[in-house]
Amino acid sequence: MIRIIRELWLFFWRDLSIARTYRTVFVLEAIEALFGAAMFYYVARFVDTPALQHALPQGGSYFAFSLVGFVFLDYLNAALDTFDRGLEESRDTGTLEHLLITQTSLPVFVAGSAVYPFIATTLRIVIYVAWATALFGFSLHAANWLAVFAVLLVTLLAFSGLGILSASYLLLFKRGNPAKWFFLGVSSVAGGMLFPVSILPDWLQLVARLNPVTYALDAMRASLLGGADIASLWRPLIILLGFAAVLLPLSMTVFAWSLRRTKITGTLTHS
Amino acid sequence: MPEAAISVEALAKSFPPARSGWRTFFQPFEKPTAVALAGVSFEIREGEALALLGANGAGKSTLLRIIATLLVPTSGHARVAGHDTVRDSRAVRRRLGYHAGTDHGFYARLTARENLLFFGRLNLLSRLAAAQRISQLAEQFHFGEALDRQVRTLSTGTVQRLSLARALLHQPSVLLLDEPTRSLDAIAAAEFRRFLKSEVLRSGRTSLLFASHTLAEIELLADRVAVIDVGRLLACDTASTLKRNTGASSLEEVFLRLTGHDPDSSGGEHVQ
Repeated sequence: MIRIIRELWLFFWRDLSIARTYRTVFVLEAIEALFGAAMFYYVARFVDTPALQHALPQGGSYFAFSLVGFVFLDYLNAALDTFDRGLEESRDTGTLEHLLITQTSLPVFVAGSAVYPFIATTLRIVIYVAWATALFGFSLHAANWLAVFAVLLVTLLAFSGLGILSASYLLLFKRGNPAKWFFLGVSSVAGGMLFPVSILPDWLQLVARLNPVTYALDAMRASLLGGADIASLWRPLIILLGFAAVLLPLSMTVFAWSLRRTKITGTLTHS
Repeated sequence: MPEAAISVEALAKSFPPARSGWRTFFQPFEKPTAVALAGVSFEIREGEALALLGANGAGKSTLLRIIATLLVPTSGHARVAGHDTVRDSRAVRRRLGYHAGTDHGFYARLTARENLLFFGRLNLLSRLAAAQRISQLAEQFHFGEALDRQVRTLSTGTVQRLSLARALLHQPSVLLLDEPTRSLDAIAAAEFRRFLKSEVLRSGRTSLLFASHTLAEIELLADRVAVIDVGRLLACDTASTLKRNTGASSLEEVFLRLTGHDPDSSGGEHVQ
């Protein structure tokens, strides 16, 4: 266990050291977060009505609703995108083969590429929320932080499986991220990111109910805006954990199989 | 009888044809038809150095990559210290140092020291041991002044030295080098050969399998030479025996006669 943590730390240290050589990116992302928070605030001012607020879960403002939806989208994007981007970079820089002949096991190699992006995404979200709180009156006083972290953790675990499946696709076919395309596409309509799923037609509400993003997002809003505790969120948490329990081992098996295929076809380093 | 450091047994490797467009989706599942290796067998003892001699595309890199666990053979077996490269790849990797001739595989925005530290620690060196070994190798390979510069600012030759240092960092018992002196200037190449001969091979514990087009390098370092042509092992013996058996006066002549490219020979006789 200590060895695994040490190796994960090494991957984090590598990515942090590389990121530190692009210092202006941190500043630009902080400014981008300010504009993002401002955009959601003014869109909310434009569309907010008492009737709309009543229709939203937790009965809050549209600003809080849409900001949490966007923050969640960022996490989902990180989970779906990180693994295949890390793999693509390793392949293109020629480091992939050298990583694969070290003593690092395949699961650690896969997880290692995600540590820094997940932490960086969390930091970016903190900045978003900080701007929204400091300048636009976004309130976090009701948040149940333990529940928020529990929801985030199971969300990352659940969607990382899809991210690893995408990386497997990249190994085999060299381009494209179908999981990201599918889940972000479907979830932007039937996931409750920027509007509640209750306004959708029946058949799309059915799609939303089959979409794990809907459960994760509901749980996130309930814990962050409504102060719901872990016990009251058992249903979405169990659904997401079930999703993770199926997808993570499945995706690792598919990834290992895809890696072996590329070693058979000799296309490991092909782009 | 002691276990061979490397044992290659009837090793064959074929690749599926390259595809483009929509056919790319079928390539991972296509039958391999392009033969790269055809039934190659040999053994390397502990402490022995074997050179692979062959034209471009002969199968030398494919052979090295199979032993490095980066390719799965179509048939046959490759073993390192008795461990199969497919079934027991982790045990194989524990013993390997690998240098690929074509790409150097470093993080361009990390310094040379950071790169070596990262790979050294992934090969289970402690921070202190890795740092000491990096300093030692930097001194031996004369890249000490480059250690704290980003790799993207280094010359091709220096990156080549870094790559060789990475292969040696964790003091592997089996060293696989693909054209190790390819981008080095004459002095650096000579120093590297001297280092391999005096520091790595002299101990008698490290086995070396390397591919090279530099015949002087092969004669200096190799105990035996394996001549490969279009995936087939034509001969594997000491340089002097190969010369004697082919009636050649140089290794170059041996190669040309064995592969049938010798203008003076009629068809080229194959020595087994």
